[in-house]
Amino acid sequence: MTNLNTIDPAAVLDEGKFGGDDVVIGKSRIILRRFLRNRTAVAGLAIFLALTLFSFIGGFFSSWDKETIDPFNIGMPPSAEHLLGTSQAGIDLYALTVEGTRVSILIGVVVGLVSVLIAAVYGCTMAFFGRKVDKVMLFILEALIMMPALLVVAVATSGGANGLKNTVPSWLLLIVVLLVFSWMGTARLIRSLSLSLMQRDFVKASQYMGIPPHRIVWRHLVPNIGSLLVLEVTRGVTGAILAEVAFSFIGIGIKVPDVSLGVLIGQSTSQVSTFPWMFWAPLIVMFLLTGSLAMMNDGLRDAFDPSSSSVGRTKRNSATGKKQSGKTQKKIK
Amino acid sequence: MTSNTTARDTAQGTAERLHAAGLHAPTDAVLSVRDLNVRFNTENGVVHAVRGVDFDVMPGKTLGIVGESGSGKSVTSMAIMGLLPPTAEITGSVRLQGKELLGLSDKAMCRHRGSDLAMVFQDPLSSLTPVYTVGTQIIEALTVHNPTMSKQAKEARAVELLGLVGIPSPKDRLKAFPHEFSGGMRQRVMIAIAIANNPRVLIADEPTTALDVTIQAQVLEVLHAAQEETGAAVVMITHDLGVVAGMADDIMVMYAGRPVETGSVDDIYYSPRMPYTMGLLGAVPRVDVAEKSSLVPIDGIPPNLTQPPTGCSFAPRCPLATEACLDGEPDLRAVAPGTGHSAACIKSEALADVDVHTVFAVPAVPVSRFDSLPRHERKTVLELRDVRKHFPLMKGALIKRRIGTVKAVDGLSFDIREGECFSIVGESGCGKTTTLLEIMEFHKDQDGEVVIGGLSNKQAADARAKSAMRKELQMVFQDPTGALDPRFTVYEVLAEPMENLGMPKAAIRKRIMELMELVGLQADHVNRFPNQFSGGQRQRIGIARALAVNPRLVVLDEPVSALDVSVQAGVINLLDKLRAELGLSYLMVAHDLSVVRHISNRVAVMYLGKIVEIGDVDAVFDNPRHPYTRALLSAIPVPDPELERTRERIILQGDLPSPLEAPAGCNFATRCPVFAALPPAKQEKCLTLEPALEASATDQQFACFYPDGELDADMLVVHENH
Repeated sequence: MTNLNTIDPAAVLDEGKFGGDDVVIGKSRIILRRFLRNRTAVAGLAIFLALTLFSFIGGFFSSWDKETIDPFNIGMPPSAEHLLGTSQAGIDLYALTVEGTRVSILIGVVVGLVSVLIAAVYGCTMAFFGRKVDKVMLFILEALIMMPALLVVAVATSGGANGLKNTVPSWLLLIVVLLVFSWMGTARLIRSLSLSLMQRDFVKASQYMGIPPHRIVWRHLVPNIGSLLVLEVTRGVTGAILAEVAFSFIGIGIKVPDVSLGVLIGQSTSQVSTFPWMFWAPLIVMFLLTGSLAMMNDGLRDAFDPSSSSVGRTKRNSATGKKQSGKTQKKIK
Repeated sequence: MTSNTTARDTAQGTAERLHAAGLHAPTDAVLSVRDLNVRFNTENGVVHAVRGVDFDVMPGKTLGIVGESGSGKSVTSMAIMGLLPPTAEITGSVRLQGKELLGLSDKAMCRHRGSDLAMVFQDPLSSLTPVYTVGTQIIEALTVHNPTMSKQAKEARAVELLGLVGIPSPKDRLKAFPHEFSGGMRQRVMIAIAIANNPRVLIADEPTTALDVTIQAQVLEVLHAAQEETGAAVVMITHDLGVVAGMADDIMVMYAGRPVETGSVDDIYYSPRMPYTMGLLGAVPRVDVAEKSSLVPIDGIPPNLTQPPTGCSFAPRCPLATEACLDGEPDLRAVAPGTGHSAACIKSEALADVDVHTVFAVPAVPVSRFDSLPRHERKTVLELRDVRKHFPLMKGALIKRRIGTVKAVDGLSFDIREGECFSIVGESGCGKTTTLLEIMEFHKDQDGEVVIGGLSNKQAADARAKSAMRKELQMVFQDPTGALDPRFTVYEVLAEPMENLGMPKAAIRKRIMELMELVGLQADHVNRFPNQFSGGQRQRIGIARALAVNPRLVVLDEPVSALDVSVQAGVINLLDKLRAELGLSYLMVAHDLSVVRHISNRVAVMYLGKIVEIGDVDAVFDNPRHPYTRALLSAIPVPDPELERTRERIILQGDLPSPLEAPAGCNFATRCPVFAALPPAKQEKCLTLEPALEASATDQQFACFYPDGELDADMLVVHENH
């Protein structure tokens, strides 16, 4: 598919020039630049990466792990020995938070990525085949949307599936259940977007050239909804993390001894006034996690959407001199 | 008068000019703009979109601003209206009746906008709110600026306004919603809203670009009437040199954000002194003359406005450019003292009475090997026999029942021979594009027979026959941007049809290099993405893709309508050259009759799914027999002010009727200027019988009972106001 390597190097060297001295800017570079211009989004990305790093190497900074009970410090506030204090069972809260963050991020990323993948395949198939196939698949989708996800999660993770529970860790079970219920909205979005792409002239042009339909879908449709997919992934990650926290909070998601941010928050809500540190530490981490993703999402939308106003201001790189810049600034404000 | 001051002003320095603007601006000018500069920020740096524009408009006069896209004409109008985004940096001075507008707050501007400064936008489909009635929207414009006006008075004024812009039974139409109006009617409503408060200045930004030619003629007429009614000064922004030729008193030609030539209409059209203006005028094909020369192409692309130009901004594209042209940007200088004609060119004195064809390198007229053969001796490439496309119209939620038929294409038959360009013209909605789609469809179940290169859709429609047909027939789309996948490099775009035919890689590579050369692109452009090309270059890529598999017939769907005039000329010349060199045949659909006349050999005029007149292009255009063809041709503005002023124009009443309510007899009877002038006894025939396409001795055929009939006086308009 890629033919770039068949082109002689002289042409490649000349690539950067266009219309004399106008430099061509690659699309990915424009997107990166637009993203970087959004300070909030960059901050979000930094926080998210830091949290991920923390969840993997955080354990090395403390001698405690999530299973060892410290019988001398039960329900103690933060101290030099236990950075974030201990839980009522005497387990180091720092170790628990690290572990919980990792489980939450794992659930979020896996669910976010896989559900978008399912949605893309399902949505494109619907849009491409149309007619009967579209109708049947749409019916299945609607039926899934109407199914009470909460009850299914409750049944799958507690009473109903004892056999499963013994062999599969609860976080994996939760991932599977969340996956089943998270891709429908995205699939519908992708379907409608693909439908409108099918109407575009370049798709028509390849139809008139006699290109077989599956090649049209693979070569023309999928790359053109790529930016939407990226956005949907970050949105899906946020959604999955929140769902995990919510389910665990009401006691039907992750089960002890597995630990997640939702479990930690849920366990400590009843004693917020007596043991505040047990509640606030995981809650703040959760806020940082979902908040950073939300911040990133805004920047990503700006970066991918060509009609957004993220072009920066005249003043910043204006070559017109100081005299006018003051005036511009006044007008902009 | 107006440009007199402009010329004097530009002779002075910028600082002096700004100073003088306040004190010495002509007191009688309603709108005077001095040293207007607009800058935007983009990914590539600051774009200096408008660079020092000066003009004055007198009450009751019309100033035409002409230029290609990106020349800064729309930005100028938006800056005057205060509609630019706050990120834009605007300097200079805009005075409306002596009052400075730049620097006013949005709120303060609102007092002027819609009241003494009004605007008509390009797209009438999106400038009206769909959820309010037309009446509400006109009354809203009145309420905002006249809070004390009574409800009855406002309603009466709204009815009066709708009547003024020529909407029949205005009182009832007041309660209609925008979707119940056609495009032309909506533009009339926009004009009604714009003149509601008797504006002193009316800015019309490409007011007719989105409309059909017959509707364009109507709307221009309405604008004319509105100007006479209100005595407003009109600033008319357009890329169409024909539209302003008849309307404007003065013209300002803009290039790269600067005015490069200003003067009265006659000065600009008959003695242009700037090579760019000359090129623009030479690039437009004329609908009223059979041309034997190629169009004037202006090579290159407009300069990038992120870098301040060091010399004349047109120099890189100018065939006359010398070293001196690169030394500083020339100012607008008076060409002849006293006339107000000035041009920004150091050679303007030498350019008097120079033919544009000697200035620009105009390619020779290409001659095809088929041109010498008589038509009936050439092979038929495409033949349509009685092709129909009827859409059933259904109604009902649960049980659908057929309430009518839309006859989009109704019994079309024509053929195209080798090496010939056949065009279909008509208003939008007449079935031109449906015809193309029917041909591209090539399916057994179609109503009627399509024969492409000897292959009929009735005999063989299996996959192999279809792929053989696809090799014979390729298509070029209207919108070059939409027709190229934005994620494909040019190489991939061009390789796609060949890969599909299973050509070996090496052969594809060789062919692509040939194609690039053939359409006039550099070979090293192949690894670029479509968005890195200008519109004209993109269309060349589209043409190259169509030619990749060596077809014999290329279907062109409005191939140049999305392009600028100067670029359009280059693409038309290219199409002409390819037809001659490769022996191609074209089937073209276009609404621009001037382009059709220039490039076609034969033409068919369509009205409501039927061909009303068909024949050799010169015969049909010089001697139109069907009243619809006559009206269509007379509606096209010609870039010749003298002719425009004296020309008789047939203004058709109303819009194209919906194909659903097609009349029983002649389709055209409802709008026909001949029919309206007929005695009732003869009218009967038109209403009951359907005229057929009569075969005649010559190639020209038409479907009318009373060709060359007397025209109804009401539909004839001649302007004698100049």
